[in-house]
Amino acid sequence: MIVFDNVTKRYPASGDAISQVSFSIEAGELVYVTGHSGAGKSTLLKLMAAIERPTNGTVLINNQNVNKLKESTLPYIRRKFGLIFQDHKLLYDRNCFQNVALPLAINGITGQEAAKRIRAALDKVGLLNKEKAMPITLSGGEQQRLAIARAVVSKPSILIADEPTGNLDKNYAADILALFKAFQQVGVTVIIATHDALGQTNHENQASQQNKVLHLNQGRLSTSAHSEVSA
Amino acid sequence: MKTWLTYHAQALRLVLSRFKKNKLSTFLICLSIGVTLALPSTAYIILDNLNGLVSNVKSESKLSVFLSENHDDALVTTIEQALKQNPAIHSVVFVSKEDALAQLAVIDANKALLDSLSNNPLPDAFFVEPKVLDATSIESLKNELSKLDGVETVLVDGAWIKRLNYLLQLGQKVLVLLASLLGFALIVVIGNTIRMQVLTQQAEIELSKLIGATNSFIRRPFLYLGALYGLGGGALALMMTWCIILYFNQTVSAIAATYQFNFSLQFLSAFYQSIMLAAAVLLGWLSAYFSLSLSDKHS
Repeated sequence: MIVFDNVTKRYPASGDAISQVSFSIEAGELVYVTGHSGAGKSTLLKLMAAIERPTNGTVLINNQNVNKLKESTLPYIRRKFGLIFQDHKLLYDRNCFQNVALPLAINGITGQEAAKRIRAALDKVGLLNKEKAMPITLSGGEQQRLAIARAVVSKPSILIADEPTGNLDKNYAADILALFKAFQQVGVTVIIATHDALGQTNHENQASQQNKVLHLNQGRLSTSAHSEVSA
Repeated sequence: MKTWLTYHAQALRLVLSRFKKNKLSTFLICLSIGVTLALPSTAYIILDNLNGLVSNVKSESKLSVFLSENHDDALVTTIEQALKQNPAIHSVVFVSKEDALAQLAVIDANKALLDSLSNNPLPDAFFVEPKVLDATSIESLKNELSKLDGVETVLVDGAWIKRLNYLLQLGQKVLVLLASLLGFALIVVIGNTIRMQVLTQQAEIELSKLIGATNSFIRRPFLYLGALYGLGGGALALMMTWCIILYFNQTVSAIAATYQFNFSLQFLSAFYQSIMLAAAVLLGWLSAYFSLSLSDKHS
């Protein structure tokens, strides 16, 4: 589904964010991207979602080479992903319903069909009763769940979350992770970046046992973490 | 095709809902566009009406064709034929020297003067009314007629018509200049407004790009915004111009009445009204387009 072959991403000002990274992710996997902050996790996610192009190497998304795609076709690739951003990127000038409506609008889905899907997405994250609420009135955990509802409303085949549990207390974090697992169980590929050191928290103990882990260290995949991968 | 329509309907709905939310500021922007457009359109209406008025003042623009002395009646007939067949001439009246003298003698004050003359000093003359009344065609007709055999001089009555025509030409040039300057100002005003809107929606634009919005999806609402500002401004300009003309007409009719003349300024025809609206919409759209291209370069 996503294949990285010897990928390097260099930013003019700050040097290599990612160097010579190779891995592949199959459909339906749950993948953790771990590493300290600044290790290149966000860059890796941006490369996966075709937001950035690699400086060297090849990134294949559904067998399409991102480097060879025209700028104008990139938006259509991006629509295959549901993105959950570190800073949520909720729009504070509109209510929850309208926030979740945006990806559908981009896909040209409006009206009754859109409303049905928006309510289904809000229901899935437990915010159905808050559809008219403004995001600013929601708690941190609720805002995170709203961001998830927005990411899944267009039924993407891949879900990418950058530090989804970063600012949440443990109970909320467990809730959110359970939510992601539920999506994986219905066949969605889920990729989660987290700065927690491996093995420090409960869920990552589980992660290293059952799921693929891509551990980044200064822009390189650390081999020790890679070897822990077991499907 | 259906998705294409959906996208456009969606953008239009979005813009209209934003209008609804910001009624006052939308109205103010349209008002400033309207004022800017009302100025040249009022000037256009006045000039256009004056032009029409000038072409209506036929009696004042005759050519007098005076014949040389010592000619026979055959020559008079030839010239009359030539004049009547000239396509640029509307009508011809012949006044013989005897008739002219008789006309002068009607007035008492002239009698003593005429009695002192031994012979009739007046020439035979044709009074010609041209078909087209602008300065250049009258001038060329004059040149043409002076070349005719037996014609001594050709005089154009009402040189003021010529001057007025030149003045109107000058007026048209001023109008074109005024319209282009104000049009430029409009592009700047609308463009700047659109730019502010882009800035206030920066978060939404950034997010939309990240989750797969195409450039045209992002630009479309702003283009509609510009076009609708143009439409609103154009409609307000029509209303304002209509009021201005109505206001002017009270005085214009009074002035015309003192000349025993029935005249008032005519408002734009439906055709010109729709042209003006279309031009305003186009101007708004173009402003948005330029503004977006500029902000694209800076982001």
